Amino acid sequence: MAFVRRWKGTGVFLGTELRMTLHDPLAIASSALVEGILLVFVWVLARDLLPFALLGSLVYSLFLIGQYVLSEAAYIRIDHRLNEMYHASPLSPEAYFLGMASGIGIGYVPTTLALFVLALVVVPMTAAGFVAILGVLLAVWTISASIAYTISTLFKDMKAIWPWASLIANVLGVVPPVFYPLDRWPVEWRSLALVLPTSGGAALAEAAAGILPLAQDEVVLAATALGLEALVAFAFTVWWSHRSAREA
Amino acid sequence: MAEDALRARDVRKTYRTRGGPAVEALRGVSLSIRRGERVALLGRNGAGKTTFLRIASTLLLPTAGTVEVLGHDVAAEPDAVRPLIGVVPQEGKPFFHLTPREQVYAYLRARGVPREEAHRKTEWALGRVGLEDVADRLAITLSGGQKQRTMVATILATEAPLLFLDEPTIGLDPFARRAVWETLRQLARAGSTILLTTHYLDEAEALSDRLYIVEEGRVLAEGTADSLKRQVGGTIRVSVKDGAGIADRLGTYGSTVTEDGTVHVVTGEEKVGEIVDLAMKRGLSATVGPVTLEEAFLRVVGRSIDED
Repeated sequence: MAFVRRWKGTGVFLGTELRMTLHDPLAIASSALVEGILLVFVWVLARDLLPFALLGSLVYSLFLIGQYVLSEAAYIRIDHRLNEMYHASPLSPEAYFLGMASGIGIGYVPTTLALFVLALVVVPMTAAGFVAILGVLLAVWTISASIAYTISTLFKDMKAIWPWASLIANVLGVVPPVFYPLDRWPVEWRSLALVLPTSGGAALAEAAAGILPLAQDEVVLAATALGLEALVAFAFTVWWSHRSAREA
Repeated sequence: MAEDALRARDVRKTYRTRGGPAVEALRGVSLSIRRGERVALLGRNGAGKTTFLRIASTLLLPTAGTVEVLGHDVAAEPDAVRPLIGVVPQEGKPFFHLTPREQVYAYLRARGVPREEAHRKTEWALGRVGLEDVADRLAITLSGGQKQRTMVATILATEAPLLFLDEPTIGLDPFARRAVWETLRQLARAGSTILLTTHYLDEAEALSDRLYIVEEGRVLAEGTADSLKRQVGGTIRVSVKDGAGIADRLGTYGSTVTEDGTVHVVTGEEKVGEIVDLAMKRGLSATVGPVTLEEAFLRVVGRSIDED
């Protein structure tokens, strides 16, 4: 009963956040900009890598949602101070966090959906592969939204937050092998790429689609890392959402 | 059932700063609010008003002391307290991409109010604060006063027994302030218990039944605006411009404060004529008016509310 009470209100706050996200269609449309540009580059420069870039952009689009969660959570807290209105109400902090992250996630679904359809056209995949990719995307969204929400509570100035959003998205999303195959990445750093949520997620998606040969132990490593990271990030953020909702 | 809506005993709050000295924001605040009462915490910026309000509304833990809201300890039982309160934070703004109607409704639903009831309460609250005409406009297009009234409508709709408003008219122009005042009076008529913080003397006087003067984390005085004014030692203020040269003589008629060369004398009605005569004989101008809360604040705190 207490568990149900803690999450009650998630759906309502999700609806509120979704409504606000949909008020800004330009932001949704432009969210595909980075992926779109990188896909064009790959199309022009190395067309044979397009399947990798497509699956990578799919993972990246979910990872990018963290950036929007970070901006939105910080904006509501710093500019509007509405978090105080909600935290001093029966809505639990974890319902507030999950509602916001889900609302933004659903708001940006058109981008992900478009990339998914493109990926399905370019890379035929089995039903099992399809389900595996959905699992990877869910884990990546959980990790990015959780990290983003936690970071959003740490700053008192919006300007201090923007570089973090950009830094995380680029360092974890563009530098490691997300838009390009894992075998183009230095072999001695291969394990690192497999445990990073973005490149590890992309490798798993590419393996599930049958375009990247991964050894069994590498699949286990990447899947375990992604699952654990999602679990730890989510659990920590639920705990932190309580801790930060009430200053000591 | 608890008789007081809020009771605070010896509340202290010390902020630890990294590398710097600890800051004592509250140094033993005790106060109480009866049900249905409107109470203002009046103080200069940095006096500790917001810190107290954040503790009372479960957003901040006290370093020591207790605050009870309708019999529940805010530190130990925040989940029991939160359904009983509504908070308008300082400089809080509604979601810009929601309409007032959506904002109020969404907040009620998030608090667990069923759909039909939330619709009914939303319409009621928007009507009470006079926002029906703009209820379907995006908040971003509203004036500052309308945005603030949307915030007030949002907590009014909750019908929570105790409402907290932190500097509800800060940054608003005089017209918008008056509109928000009227809205807050509506809250009082609806029977809400209200604790508001303000550094506007006129606001404290206009909106509260009783007020606490707070300075440097302590409550220095408590009472109605009239009782605090009576403590000043007179009912009339005579201000003598450039009267510093006769300050000693003026001091024999009552308590004096000199500000920018003008000597203010707080005295009784019977002595006004003598003071004005004295000033005119010296060729000085004198103005006469009733004692205001400003004199009371000055006497209690020892400096003006606007002084940094």
